[in-house]
Amino acid sequence: MAADTIAQVNKIFIDVLDNEDIVLDPTTSAKDIDEWDSLNHIQLIVAIEKHFKIRFNSSEINGWKNVGEMCAAIEKRLEQ
Amino acid sequence: MQQGDTYTHRFTAGNAVYDGFISTFKDTNPLHTDAAFAQAKGFKDVVLHGNILNGFISYFVGMCLPVKNVMIQTQSIKYALPVYMNDELEFTAEITGFFESVNTYEFKFFFKNKEGKKVAKGELQIGLLK
Repeated sequence: MAADTIAQVNKIFIDVLDNEDIVLDPTTSAKDIDEWDSLNHIQLIVAIEKHFKIRFNSSEINGWKNVGEMCAAIEKRLEQ
Repeated sequence: MQQGDTYTHRFTAGNAVYDGFISTFKDTNPLHTDAAFAQAKGFKDVVLHGNILNGFISYFVGMCLPVKNVMIQTQSIKYALPVYMNDELEFTAEITGFFESVNTYEFKFFFKNKEGKKVAKGELQIGLLK
């Protein structure tokens, strides 16, 4: 996974969740961040799709277990 | 519902909604209730509460869209001109984005008064409930 991808996603998380202390790593999941609830998850996905100018479908995002899988999916989509 | 779809609805900012707003939220700031005060500040009459327009947006989302399983997720509005008692407003909203992954639509919207001038504009994000 490219370090730049997770860095960009980290900035999105900080902005959307309004928490400057967030430091993502590939194993980070919703249970690790208090603000990462179901409504904020929607805002995160919308922000990520807009930032990277990509679109996912629901089955793709439902399969992600952590930030690493999210970033891998972003990179895969950017390569297409 | 798809990107580019546009919806319009007419609202009247009348006594019923004005009285109901004040009765509910108790905002009796003189800008909204004292014509002399409002005129001294450069307005032609009392200015209706800006958040009355947000009530109209709520009606649009809840009642005017072709689906009812909707929930507002985010909303922003910028006010450009005052709205006065009994102003007739035309509301227009266009779908500017769809995010299938999270069943979410983005809209841009504006209100025009009967002179055709935009009194407010903004953005709206709604989700479709499963």
